[in-house]
Amino acid sequence: MSFFTDGLISAFRLMASLDAELLGIISVSLKISLMATLIAGSVGIPAGVLIALREFAFKRIVITILNTLLSVPTVVIGLFVYAFIARRGLFGAFDLLYTPNAIIIGQIILITPIVATFTLSAVSRIDPRYRSTALTLGASEFQTALVIIREARFGIIAAIVAAFGRVISEIGISMMLGGNIKGFTRTMTTAMALEYDKGAFSLAMALGIILLGLSLTLNVLLQYFQGKVSQ
Amino acid sequence: MTAYALTNIYKEFQGRRVLDISLLTVAAGKVYSLIGPNGAGKTTLLNILAFLSEPSGGSLFFAGRPVRFSQAHLQSLRKSVILVNQHPILFSSSVFNNIAFGLKTRKIPAKKRASIIEQALDQVGMSRFIHTDARYLSGGETRRIAIARALACDPEVLLLDEPTADLDLESRNAVEAIIADIAAHGRMTLIFCTHDHDQAARLTSDVICLQDGRLTDYIDENIFRGDVINKDHRYFCRVAKNIHIPVPGTDRENIRISIHPKSIKIVDTATLASRIESASDVFRGKVICIADASADIRVRVDIGIALQLVMDKSEYMARPMRIGDPVDMRIDADAVTCLEDLNHP
Repeated sequence: MSFFTDGLISAFRLMASLDAELLGIISVSLKISLMATLIAGSVGIPAGVLIALREFAFKRIVITILNTLLSVPTVVIGLFVYAFIARRGLFGAFDLLYTPNAIIIGQIILITPIVATFTLSAVSRIDPRYRSTALTLGASEFQTALVIIREARFGIIAAIVAAFGRVISEIGISMMLGGNIKGFTRTMTTAMALEYDKGAFSLAMALGIILLGLSLTLNVLLQYFQGKVSQ
Repeated sequence: MTAYALTNIYKEFQGRRVLDISLLTVAAGKVYSLIGPNGAGKTTLLNILAFLSEPSGGSLFFAGRPVRFSQAHLQSLRKSVILVNQHPILFSSSVFNNIAFGLKTRKIPAKKRASIIEQALDQVGMSRFIHTDARYLSGGETRRIAIARALACDPEVLLLDEPTADLDLESRNAVEAIIADIAAHGRMTLIFCTHDHDQAARLTSDVICLQDGRLTDYIDENIFRGDVINKDHRYFCRVAKNIHIPVPGTDRENIRISIHPKSIKIVDTATLASRIESASDVFRGKVICIADASADIRVRVDIGIALQLVMDKSEYMARPMRIGDPVDMRIDADAVTCLEDLNHP
């Protein structure tokens, strides 16, 4: 038990002293995750809205594929992207492997389906009268889509929050594509894995507490927005 | 000037034809009531007239021009016509922003919007709600704001789908006053759906009757259901306890009937005094409502069930009635139509 409490006390000391290494890792994690979420949001939200509002051939199949992509393991995505960006891969010339950009690419692939399906679900729940009301008031298709996005805004924000929660806590992609390079691609999860391997629990535990705190904050936000949706 | 001209317009849903109109013209600047029972195709017709739904076939002309159901063409047409649904929805924003929406899509400058919005709200008697969050309005208030939202855009055509359904008396009167005001000024074409024949007659003399998706001259009224009983080789439909309406011969045990309101005749009690008790086609009741319906007078009589009568004005003047007066009426079997029973085919 003292092993656990000693680790915990050291972790709090590290956090209180604003340890440079700890802050560096958090900074890298947040930068990568926010960028991945931003790009995935700008792709996933329009995709979800379009799929929800438009009738087209194979719509059910597209939705099924998106739902399937929700459960793809991160290591599969890591492996898949690795095959493309490794030296011998199709995009090897871009020298992306073991860079933050490589992690961002993998994370975008991971969470775009999350953003798209959550958005699709939020927009599908919106009363169809909003669409017909906007149209009868003279709105264009684009203006009508904006009205629907506005009405579904809490559901869409919940999608973004859930996606960010997914990338900040994933390890497979970060490890396989980032390589866990100190100060460059070392994220909170990869750092925790490394510290565990070294048997140094202070930093691992401090990162774990911060990650848990972030997760708690995200879930509070998620609950708040989901509550708004059901109002 | 013609607002709409419809030729052979029909609409099918999953192979079922729900609307089939061979010819309909709607004059510009007039107020029309669109009457018909549930499922008659009223909402389907309004959606086509609002360019929100494409007909399965036929041709539609608006303001003398053929309507093409392509997105680019439709958006400009929709700026001329606004449909207010039976259960309208307001955007989750303030009343001001809701009304401003249609003005923005019409590129009305921001400076002008405020005065237009105030004017529209004043027209529906809702000025004090201008900054209220639309989510907290009652059903009647929502309906009036939705009408104000439409009026603010000053469309050429306003379509109202059952604008007074489920409203309390105050809201109902307010909506009727708006329709009457539009009718009096003739500044736009207005078509409103209703089940209420009295209301339709009160507000306009131009009526479009729709039944089973088709235009008709007459809509069934006084519709009842009951068991068929045979008394002395005559058939009756028992529509309520002790109320047996004579019907044409039928082999069915349970029927739906419609009693034509113009075929119910007021009879003089004095001349029938000797036989009134025994006459099986004469019913005694009490006048509960009298309404002016242009050329006719509509009288509602309670005989245990409410019956609607329609009389010529001359006929009424010859025998004026007051609410509460007792009256005797004759209903012949010829005045009764056995309707198709949708629940028991």
